[in-house]
Formats: sequence, C-alpha cells, structure tokens
Amino acid sequence: MTQQPKRNQPFGFGNPWLQLALSVVCVLVSELLLKRGATDIADLQSAWSWTGINGLVSPLVWWAIILIVASFVSWLYVLRYIPLTIAFPLSRVVDVLVPFSCWIFLGEFISTLRWCGIALVVIGLALVAKPIARIEQRL
Amino acid sequence: MTFVSFFFILASLLSFVVAQLILKRAMVSTAQSGFRNLRFVSRVAIGVFLMTISFFLTLGLLQRFDLSYLYPFQGLSVIIITVMAAFILKEKLTLQLTIGALLISAGIVLVSLS
Repeated sequence: MTQQPKRNQPFGFGNPWLQLALSVVCVLVSELLLKRGATDIADLQSAWSWTGINGLVSPLVWWAIILIVASFVSWLYVLRYIPLTIAFPLSRVVDVLVPFSCWIFLGEFISTLRWCGIALVVIGLALVAKPIARIEQRL
Repeated sequence: MTFVSFFFILASLLSFVVAQLILKRAMVSTAQSGFRNLRFVSRVAIGVFLMTISFFLTLGLLQRFDLSYLYPFQGLSVIIITVMAAFILKEKLTLQLTIGALLISAGIVLVSLS
C-alpha cells in the first residue's frame, strides 16, 4: 500500500522524512570526524587542550563543523513538518549508530561491560524520548 | 575516570542543555516581539556562546577518550532536562521517565567503569 503524501508536505529532496534521515547521517558522520580530528592533533601535555581550541587546526574538525551546521538546518526544516514528539524519538537512532560506527570505522575496542552500558542507555533513551520531546516543547 | 574529566563532561552537557533552553525561549519570544529587539539578540548570543563552549569542551574530551566511551554520557542531558522540567515546570515524574532515567544512569555507570 502506498502512503499518500500529506497536503502541503513537500516531496523529493524537500521531503521531511528524507531530511530527518540526512540530519541523522550528518550528526553521525560529524561525530566520527570530530573524533578522528581530535585524535590527530591530541596534545595531552598541554592544559589548554582541555578547552579543545587546538582542535581547530584539523581540517577534519572543520568538515565536522560544516556537517553540524547542515544537520541543524535539516533539523529545523524537519520541525516545520513533523511534530517533535515523533521527530525526536526517531532521531535517537543515532545513539545506536554511533557506538556501532566507533567499532566498525574507528576500530575502537568496546568491552562487554561497555556494550552493556551502551545498551542500557539506548533502552533508557527509547523509553524517555517521547515524554522528553513533550517536555522540551513546553520548556 | 578522574574528577577533572567528569567535571568537563558535566560542564559540556550543562552548557549544551542551557543553550538549548535559552535559544528555545528566544525563538518563542519572536512570536510576540519579533526579531529586532535587544532581548532576542542577547538571548541568541548567549545561546550560541554556550553551544560554542560545549563544542570545544567536547573536542578537548575527544582528545583523551574513545567516542564510544563519551557518547553514552550525552544521555545525561535527558536526565538534566527531566530534573529541570520537574523544577521549572513543576512536571510530575511519570513512571516511564523515572525508569528511563534510572536505566540511563545505570548504563553510564557501567560505561564509566569500562
């Protein structure tokens, strides 16, 4: 069964569901780029490195910043068409994608204990996503 | 995890959540007073400033820790919002929110032990 597009809801590149997916992908890739960029320029001896400002010398960090801005623009667009109580829980899929990508793309060793912790956080987020979106709307 | 790293993780999260709330207030106020007023501009400026602080603190933390270690801590932002809602909006904590917050807390404890 094909779903009819709602009235006034754009399709093609302007389709809000596509923009939601794009927003999630941008967040995911930006996180991975930030980690790579931060690792490349890590200077643990300097106390200034806690501020992260030295990260600006990495081109990967700048690409990540561009993707963060892109995801923000997409997200604002999504909110014009999809209620926060639906869009926010769906966007949490990134919480599952990030640890898996760390494992697959960054080669991070994730111990059983850490996997268990990540799983609990993901289940907890899935439980609270909708009520939290409602609260955020009121805040 | 050292006290210093926990402090920076919490500072990064708090500045992010407070920035979100300030930006939200700024955008809501435009419905009545529009964009061209000092209150709106100053709120947006503070919000953007706090988000920038959060970004750089995260960048500093990423130089020291795995992303798979740091990322679950973002779940704490949900707990901060829940607490704020209880205080600011006098929201009652539902069973679902309480169980969710407890699971997230337990998960973060496990991750920080790993």
